[in-house]
Amino acid sequence: MFLGLILLYLFASSIAAFGMKKSGYSFSLITTFVVMMLFIFLFIRDFSSGYSGGFLSYQSYLIPGAPGVRFSMAVSGFTFPLIIASSVVFLAAVGISNRERTTPSFYGLILFAEFGMVSLLVSRNFLFFYVFWEVVLVPVYFLISKFGTGNAARISLKFFVYTQAGSIFMLLSIFALYTYHSNLTGISTLSISSLMAPSFVSSLTAFEKGFILFGFLLSFLVKMPSFPVHAWFPDSYEKSPYSVTIVLTGALSLMGGYGFFGILFPLWPILKGGVSDLLIALGIISLVYFALSAMFQVNLKRMMAYASAAAMGFVTLSFGAGINLMGGMTSIPSASNAVLALSGGMFQMLAHSFIVVLIFSSLFIIVLRTGRETVMELGGIHRDAPRLSSLFLIGLLASLGLPGLAGFIGEFSVVVGTYGYIGALIFIVIFGMLITAAYHIWAAQRSLYGPYNETIGKIEDVSPFQFSILLTLAIFLVVLGLFPNMFFSLFTTYIGGLL
Amino acid sequence: MLDLGWFIFLSPFFGFILILLFGRFNRHLPAIISSASILVAFLISAKIFLGLGSGTVYQSYTWFYGIHYGIFIDHLSIAMALMVSFVSLMIHLFASYYMGRDPNKHVYFAETALFTAGMLGLVVASNLVIFFLFWELVGLCSYLLIGFWFFKPNASAAAKKAFIVTRVGDMLFLVGMALLYTYLSPYTSHPLSIPYLISQSNISTIVAEIGRYRLGLVAVLLLGGAVGKSSQFPLHVWIPDAMEGPTTVSALIHAATMVTAGVYLVARVFPIFLDSASFSIYLVLIIGSFTALYAGTLGIIVNDVKRVLAYSTISQLGYMMAALGLGSLIGMSAVPFSIYHLMVHAFFKATLFMAAGAILISLMDLRDIKKMGGLWKRMPFTVSLMFIGSLTLAGIPPTAGFFSKGEIVSASYAYFLHYKTIASLAPYLFVLFGEFFTALYTFRMFFLVAIGRPRSYLAEHAREAPIWALLPVAALAVLSIIFGLFQHGFYSYFVPSFFVVAIPPLFDWLPLIFALVGIAVAYLFFGTNRWKSMKIARNPFYRLLKNKYYLDFLFTNIIAERVIHPLSSAFGRFERGYNTSNEKFGQSVVSLGDTFRRLQTGVVENYLTFIVAGISVILIIVLFLGGL
Repeated sequence: MFLGLILLYLFASSIAAFGMKKSGYSFSLITTFVVMMLFIFLFIRDFSSGYSGGFLSYQSYLIPGAPGVRFSMAVSGFTFPLIIASSVVFLAAVGISNRERTTPSFYGLILFAEFGMVSLLVSRNFLFFYVFWEVVLVPVYFLISKFGTGNAARISLKFFVYTQAGSIFMLLSIFALYTYHSNLTGISTLSISSLMAPSFVSSLTAFEKGFILFGFLLSFLVKMPSFPVHAWFPDSYEKSPYSVTIVLTGALSLMGGYGFFGILFPLWPILKGGVSDLLIALGIISLVYFALSAMFQVNLKRMMAYASAAAMGFVTLSFGAGINLMGGMTSIPSASNAVLALSGGMFQMLAHSFIVVLIFSSLFIIVLRTGRETVMELGGIHRDAPRLSSLFLIGLLASLGLPGLAGFIGEFSVVVGTYGYIGALIFIVIFGMLITAAYHIWAAQRSLYGPYNETIGKIEDVSPFQFSILLTLAIFLVVLGLFPNMFFSLFTTYIGGLL
Repeated sequence: MLDLGWFIFLSPFFGFILILLFGRFNRHLPAIISSASILVAFLISAKIFLGLGSGTVYQSYTWFYGIHYGIFIDHLSIAMALMVSFVSLMIHLFASYYMGRDPNKHVYFAETALFTAGMLGLVVASNLVIFFLFWELVGLCSYLLIGFWFFKPNASAAAKKAFIVTRVGDMLFLVGMALLYTYLSPYTSHPLSIPYLISQSNISTIVAEIGRYRLGLVAVLLLGGAVGKSSQFPLHVWIPDAMEGPTTVSALIHAATMVTAGVYLVARVFPIFLDSASFSIYLVLIIGSFTALYAGTLGIIVNDVKRVLAYSTISQLGYMMAALGLGSLIGMSAVPFSIYHLMVHAFFKATLFMAAGAILISLMDLRDIKKMGGLWKRMPFTVSLMFIGSLTLAGIPPTAGFFSKGEIVSASYAYFLHYKTIASLAPYLFVLFGEFFTALYTFRMFFLVAIGRPRSYLAEHAREAPIWALLPVAALAVLSIIFGLFQHGFYSYFVPSFFVVAIPPLFDWLPLIFALVGIAVAYLFFGTNRWKSMKIARNPFYRLLKNKYYLDFLFTNIIAERVIHPLSSAFGRFERGYNTSNEKFGQSVVSLGDTFRRLQTGVVENYLTFIVAGISVILIIVLFLGGL
């Protein structure tokens, strides 16, 4: 009920924002802030008293005249942290947008995307899951094409075609699942829990299984983004306005990870072996390939875009290795590689969202102040803007996985957990992490430290208001890195509930 | 209820936060807060030390799944905590003079307080993961402090180098933990907890379950972390460059915090090394002893006073590692042998660095020892302190260095006597000749600095630092003289019946003879004016040393520029090509039909209205029918 009202509020606000010219910024800032607070309140109300696995249902009723279509909203210990993360991401996206932006549709589109994103995460019915999957894509497509720089039309088209190709196959998979299920059991349903039941899916033929998995995997891997279906992301991340980049990296990449851990995860006995080995390979390749490509970039925004994609490689890797390690587990043991790897992958998604918000927000302010985005043209800006450069440095350090910051918990758990399955291949992962550290530190040294590049002229430090906001985020990264258990234990319990 | 032990590192950490919040408002406040918070840490350590008896303090809570955080205090950690907090306190007191006029000193003192907190946290950590967290915090602080004068290109490059080189070791450490966790998780619920790993009863079960060979792999990987942090060969290349930071930072890094962490790690989990396959502990021995000699030879041609001290640190850390590596003969006694030298080293190295710092201030940061000379007359107190430090470093009685290092060299001879192989002779020769080179480069530096005639305008006009600033240095110098008295007491505090080295008396005196010969050679060339007429620029040995055995060349010019850089450029270009070919393919598909184009160039608002209207209809139906 409460959740439905929040979604309705978001939806109404997004429509209202379409009609606003001057007050669009403050209106959507207030909306996203209120929505975030409501979600946090709801989270504390429902999860602080103890979570015992499974889904917490909020609403569920049949839609008359549509057999098997049930509108159901439910959250789990895995999805709710993601909802909070995306509400923070959207708040930041609105917050750092140019206040002067008066084009009516900008804020409407952002709010609409947030509405789609959260609805996607709470839907437990494949029809709505698919609809909201598309609902997220459309506004983001318009945001890139209307407000992006460079060849925005082509870039946004590429983004759209890629994601659309993925989701069309996913739609086919959903239809196939629906048909197989009604043929096999005589029950027409689109409920995710029934269609993703291992007992049902394992009774299908190998071809049917392959057909279904192909659609889902393609769609999720595109969103991740993972090698080799990633060609849409570098341009989209780089050429969008910073607000949209934050939405793309912080929120939309969660969709891929959510697909793995939230949708496909119950099928782990079936994915084990072939499919998961493929995912491990793609995860490791993405991680190293994107890290090395990032090292090659001189544009800081593009470099961080690749860094973000490399960080998502850990998620794919953890999912692949984690399900392979599950064995015949019936309850959560007190120490096991499988649980560590899987929860680590989920934590990595969560941490990654917060980290990219800090990185891109502080980078955006740097670019606003100096007018430069490439590493070579900056230099020594710590002299004039020590606070700003410190914030950016914290973001970089979190992104390279420094302990004490949020990024470490995920990377540590994934490395330690997946070692149990991938063995000596871990050294490739380690190599990727070293490369990551190298170019992050290189970027910091060249752009923040060293002699001041006098051609920039005098610049101002971050304003007190922005500083306090970003500092809050930085402190949150520290808190998440030092006390990860408030989310980590939820993820572990979530895994236990699905065994 | 938190044990008192938590405040050993929380106190400097609170100091860090207080300085961040209030440090900028008063120019004395940063130094006062940081010193006071470290003094509190020292007093707490002392209180725990007195009350510890033969027991341990262990308190831990769940951090996240299967990983605990907490404190574990035994004799080893409390001894380290006492040393770290005391030496760090002395350095902070000196820094209030040395950094007193820096405009950013609130940042400096905040970072050094955090640095100390990180090291103290590492010392009392109860779990390898928490250990690793503090380990990296120490690394981060060293990165920030080496690059403290960020506007100097050398300083920021050195900071980067320090971070990345130690990161290589850290990654090996991480893999070591991965192996350990994977091997042990079937048998225990807390596979990375330090008390679990080092308890003698558990270690035999561990060996029985996973085998000596696998445990040896774990040990080697952990050693990899220690090699990076403690700047052992071949990951020592960052230390000499790290001299670009403020001198008090060098003192902190070399004496109290940071570089001793690697030795401490090996000592902390020493039972793993002792009980695993013998290759792991031999690797400790051979890396340590080789580094002791290797870095010693590099020290003799360096002209930067701080870099001489940097090489001496690498070499002395080699002695500590070598001492640990003798464990296959002397068992757990290797830990006190090594830690005793670690402490003596902390005292004299902090003395040497701070004396050098006082000289640098008075010489306006002139670091070339060939331009100094005659400073003993002009700065008698400072240079006397440096003399004490040099004597201790060279291992001349009655200083503590004679006892701490002599014991290690003698024990390695006993090691050779026990095994009687070439492989066991090599470490002995390394550490023995290391003694000679140590004395040689130390006194080369000292003679060039202290005696003779001033060789520059700055050296002619050198002035003594204020006495109050040198008092903490003097305290450390006194300690480095008298600490030799506590040698056997120290050993038995760790291992009640420690290993007694019994070798022929001649070999007991051999290290001292080598050191004296080293000093004599140094005097022969550098105590007189003879060095000025030496023609060595074309000498191949000199060139080899000047290029640091081409190791920096290998890392920078070959691995970084010829391997990693082309690799990333190949990947980057491939990625760019991949993106373009994707677009080309897409364009050819799009040009087939105009449908897509029309969709894209159509009126955006119409499309949107349609979607919004559709969604709203669905939502309204759903919410109303469901009995909102």
